[in-house]
Amino acid sequence: MRRILARLAAVTAVLALAACGGSSTPSSAHDPSTSRGTLVENPPLRIASLDAPTLQADLSASASGAQLLQLTGAPTCGVDFYYLNFWTVGGADEPTESSGALMVPTGSAAACTGPRPIVLYAHGTQTDKAANIADITDPNNTEGALIAATFAAQGYIVVAPNYAGYDISTLGYHPYLDATQQSDEMIDILAAARSALPDTLSSATSDNGKLFVTGYSEGGYVAMATQRALIAAGAKVTAAAPMSGPYALEAFGDAIFFGSVDLGATVFAPLLTTGYQHAYGDIYTATTDVYSPTYASGIDTLLPSTTPLATIFASNLLPQTALFDSTTPTVTIPGNAQLSAQLTAALAVPSNPNNPDTPLFDLGFGSSYLITNAYRVSYALDAAADPDGAVPTPTAGVPLAAVVPTQTLRKAFYLNDLRNGAWAPNSPTLLCGGDQDPTVFFSINTGTMQAFWSATPAAPLISVLDVNAPPAGPFAAVQAAFQQSQAAELAFYESPAGGGNSAAAAGQLLVEGYHAAVAPFCSLAARSFFSQF
Amino acid sequence: MNKSQIRTAAAGLALLLAAAGAVTPAAADPTNANELRLGAYFVFYHATANDLSGPYVPPGVNLHVRDVQTLYAAYVRRLSSRFNLELALGLPPVTKTLGKGPATLGSVPYNGVVVSTARWISPTLLLNYEFLGENSWLRPYVGVGVNYTTFYDRNSTAAGDAASGGPTRLSLSASVGPAATVGLAVRIAPRWHAYASYSYSQIKSTLRADTAGEIRTTRIDFRPQALVISVGYSF
Repeated sequence: MRRILARLAAVTAVLALAACGGSSTPSSAHDPSTSRGTLVENPPLRIASLDAPTLQADLSASASGAQLLQLTGAPTCGVDFYYLNFWTVGGADEPTESSGALMVPTGSAAACTGPRPIVLYAHGTQTDKAANIADITDPNNTEGALIAATFAAQGYIVVAPNYAGYDISTLGYHPYLDATQQSDEMIDILAAARSALPDTLSSATSDNGKLFVTGYSEGGYVAMATQRALIAAGAKVTAAAPMSGPYALEAFGDAIFFGSVDLGATVFAPLLTTGYQHAYGDIYTATTDVYSPTYASGIDTLLPSTTPLATIFASNLLPQTALFDSTTPTVTIPGNAQLSAQLTAALAVPSNPNNPDTPLFDLGFGSSYLITNAYRVSYALDAAADPDGAVPTPTAGVPLAAVVPTQTLRKAFYLNDLRNGAWAPNSPTLLCGGDQDPTVFFSINTGTMQAFWSATPAAPLISVLDVNAPPAGPFAAVQAAFQQSQAAELAFYESPAGGGNSAAAAGQLLVEGYHAAVAPFCSLAARSFFSQF
Repeated sequence: MNKSQIRTAAAGLALLLAAAGAVTPAAADPTNANELRLGAYFVFYHATANDLSGPYVPPGVNLHVRDVQTLYAAYVRRLSSRFNLELALGLPPVTKTLGKGPATLGSVPYNGVVVSTARWISPTLLLNYEFLGENSWLRPYVGVGVNYTTFYDRNSTAAGDAASGGPTRLSLSASVGPAATVGLAVRIAPRWHAYASYSYSQIKSTLRADTAGEIRTTRIDFRPQALVISVGYSF
């Protein structure tokens, strides 16, 4: 028996060794480097592979997808959706892992394979911390579907970050409208995507060297900041199309603090102050320096969040629209009664009945408000002493404030205003938006940048498209389609199927959805613009 | 092998040895106490698995394990006129795993496609009890024992990589479980016997697929039933 046991033990040992020595198919290579632009896993994970008919069928399965397809046209190419993990930096230059999408056109059509141009895309403000633009299987990923249908399915390789602070990033905050960090991150994901492309399952498609930069809303800002950074780095941008972005941050901030409160301001404010606090460390000593006691606690970690925004509002962690106190602060500047009175009047709740935006601006005021009057006054005093060249009164060349502001939030706006840096586009640039945008004001941002460059050699390179303007010129079809879409949406809101709203209520709903509604039309215009180069 | 499996194996082995110890060694014929068997192993997996879980896996994605045939070999030690101890092995076969579920994942074919292959070594130690007399030309037998299974050469196929989203590293945990058999021995010469048996064992393994750092898992419950046809030589 002892001999049998000995033999059995030997056999078992041999078997165990055989098992340990067995190998499996290698997975992707993991790069342990944390230097900027490092692709963590190469090849990256392909989340989905959809041929053109499947992509069309998937998009057609939802009403919004079907509408999108009507606009973008049927897919010419299939699209492979890759999930990139890469290293970048946070707002304080700290290393952080981030993630994003690489969408690769596939198929046998000439437009879908071989060397293809890259569209580097930056998405709009996102409050969902878990959002992943690469995950085309997520029905909430509407912006991912938009860029897939608009660009990737028509033969463009699309590269788009989720942004630091989202998805797998452990940064703990999002550097929001931080020109340096966000352009760094765009450049880093571009480097990661370029290193991934040859090794993907879709390696028949490659980079042809043309680079288009675009993005919407926050992403419009990021796209322009990236264009500036790429130019500074000596990289070639074939063409750019920033869309509906808050480019002129100082002017935009001044307008808001003087009462032109935009829709969504209570969401943007904590993202801005948190991001800038991490980057500069001087926005506040305590959150109560900026925020009312009702909301100050925990606001520095509130957004982005995995808690839905509706729940955040319902839990009274943020006011829905009331950015400022409806009780007008009294400004007292010792020895200057006239300016004191002017500023006090300027900080009053907007009441001009002749301004169609007054009802919108008034939503920004309430008794349960986000930002204290004391903080608002400190900002206004700085703006009055060192005014922006575009707001409240445009001056020649619409320059930034003459000197660096001393109020720290306004200083952060100044530093991140894209008029900063003495630069101008050196390749064709389309600035697209809608002039009725209640969220990112068109004239203060797009109009200011156009005016800022109008007297520079870059002026001929700049095109501006207002999708709300009477249809004319190369994008007349886009303008007409947008306006028809708005009319149809208004009629829908008034119809029984759309809730049978009154004309005023339907108009209000249209305003609330306006900023998002412009996105697919500007994206279409951007594609048409890019196709010329 | 984890602690639980080690405990199960130890308990099974102890039970077998205790049972073997209960027989009377003197009853065994010391001149023909050893036997080698060789034959064919027809394995019917009857595997069931949980749907695959992990990032970006749609619902209903499952696996099917294809049946295999392979060479059977065993060493048998007679303990008494009625008891013997059998260590059975199969020549490690390539087992193919097929996608089961949606026809496609996106546009990538899945259902019915071979997504991975693996080899396994699955020694089974059985304590068999033979009926009828030692001189009978026909002896039915039953056996119980313990099975240890470990997998190696685990490979995701090109189709599997396409379905998973890239090159995929697979691991399958080793398993220890009970085994049982019923069989029939036919004496065809003084030292030669022919055997037919039907065996059942339980193998539970956790499949872990790593694609670009994203981990998908499932628990596979194999309940393989094996038909064995073999001949044995005693010495």
